[in-house]
Amino acid sequence: MGRGKRKKKGGPSIADRADRHALYQKAVQTPEADVDFFTDTFAKIRNRRPMSLREDFCGTAYFAATWCQSHPERTVIAIDLDGPTLDWGREHNLEPAGDDVARRVELREANVLDPPDSRVDLTCAMNFSFGVFKTRSELLAYFRNVLAGLNDDGVFFTELYGGTEGIADDVSEDRGVDGFEYVWEQEKYNPINHHTLCYIHFRFKDGSRINRAFTYDWRLWSIPEIRELMEEAGFSKTVVYWEECDEDGDGNGNFIPTEEEEQQESWLCYLVAQK
Amino acid sequence: MQTAKRPRRRTQAQFANKHDLYERAVQDPDTDVQFFSRTYKRLRDKPAVTMREDFCGTAILSLAWARSHRDREAYGVDLDGPTLEWGKANRMSREKESVANRVTLYQANVLDGMGPRVDLTCALNFSYWIFKTREQLRTYFKVARAGLKSDGMFILDMLGGRDAMIREENETEHDDFTYRWDQEIFDPITHQFLAYIHFDFPDGSTINRAFTYDWRLWTIPEIKELLLEAGFRHVRVLWEKTDEDGEETGVFYEPKRSVENQDVWWTYIVAER
Repeated sequence: MGRGKRKKKGGPSIADRADRHALYQKAVQTPEADVDFFTDTFAKIRNRRPMSLREDFCGTAYFAATWCQSHPERTVIAIDLDGPTLDWGREHNLEPAGDDVARRVELREANVLDPPDSRVDLTCAMNFSFGVFKTRSELLAYFRNVLAGLNDDGVFFTELYGGTEGIADDVSEDRGVDGFEYVWEQEKYNPINHHTLCYIHFRFKDGSRINRAFTYDWRLWSIPEIRELMEEAGFSKTVVYWEECDEDGDGNGNFIPTEEEEQQESWLCYLVAQK
Repeated sequence: MQTAKRPRRRTQAQFANKHDLYERAVQDPDTDVQFFSRTYKRLRDKPAVTMREDFCGTAILSLAWARSHRDREAYGVDLDGPTLEWGKANRMSREKESVANRVTLYQANVLDGMGPRVDLTCALNFSYWIFKTREQLRTYFKVARAGLKSDGMFILDMLGGRDAMIREENETEHDDFTYRWDQEIFDPITHQFLAYIHFDFPDGSTINRAFTYDWRLWTIPEIKELLLEAGFRHVRVLWEKTDEDGEETGVFYEPKRSVENQDVWWTYIVAER
């Protein structure tokens, strides 16, 4: 992580005082919308409300906390490899949520490939994190593991991005968020193996910045590849949920099941796999 | 209905033949032969003698192969009888007998595995994209592998890039016609790819949808994975060098480091049995 040098005289810069996890949560995550989408979609498919959740690659467990806040009986097993990130989440997301929420969130510093010791209604892997699995056999092993950890009517939710901008080099996109600028930089996309190297940077009003606050070294999987692997892993059905567009072609936040779509410059979709 | 008699004149489109136009617009068999020969020689330290051309169409690549050396033999396989017949009548019959009689054509499915074991099999112009599932394509790759000698090689070409994955139409002018490549559908959900070739003529006439391609747009890693699953020992991706202006050079190399994606690229994959 690189901290900005352009510091004003007499005090620390905004970047020095900023917390990259807090910035990430503000810029990238919308846990309430995910909770609603998962709940509604699960209910439509299974005719009941999902209660137990496993959040893979949970990071600060912001989503996990929101899940438990959404219903007094909901529980989560939140898994991440990174201990310090989990500690941050315990302090900033779970403790402030109060005992009743915190005790229903089990944070686990573990590998998502570890065999599950219990079963849940719903597993999610958000923000494209499974891109760390760069071979079919690794990703297949991961999907099999997810399947093994689901109840008989369990459902797996994940998301994918793509589009013509998703497969380009040197693309960056910035967006103003509440008091700072969020920058997504795609440095490399290799058409031979689909490996992509991306960063998140944060920039501030005083000119300071946090460069490469987060680095992602992924394979950018395509929708058919993911669906094939899910089916090979044993999921009985996969459905793609695509974002509806308004008249200007901008996404309206509403995702609907689809079997065919036109290519876009950039898209984000949910993939929902039923056990 | 119009009844007035007008003098009938045939349009340029009516005079033209779509196979002839296709060959002129799309194919470059001598370059392919040169690339195949060099690649095989480089990897095997001996010349390739026998070649199978899957999805051969009018089989001008097979003919160019036989023409390139007096020992060389080619076996062309295509499902479409009329296309093969056109190739025989208009291409093979015009070739010297000593060349033509070293080319054997089969009207067959490439999955039938027709012909003897060869040094080299090729499937060009992305024709193998008619296989839309991993299972179908792996089956085809297995058949292709089984038809190779123990040190044989399978060469495929690939098309990709950002502009390959959108609805898009582009034209190339030729002396007496315009070639129009029309990508009507690219579906990111399935990678279904529906494209047409049209030919337009100076008198305003057109051969619309002279060729239709209903394909899956496969990607390089997918093809590499399937070739390995089908049993090929080693798979090489050869990438085209670009000059300072980013223009293609016709020279292909094996990249050691990450390459940049382009608007459109076209490349070879070489799989060793």
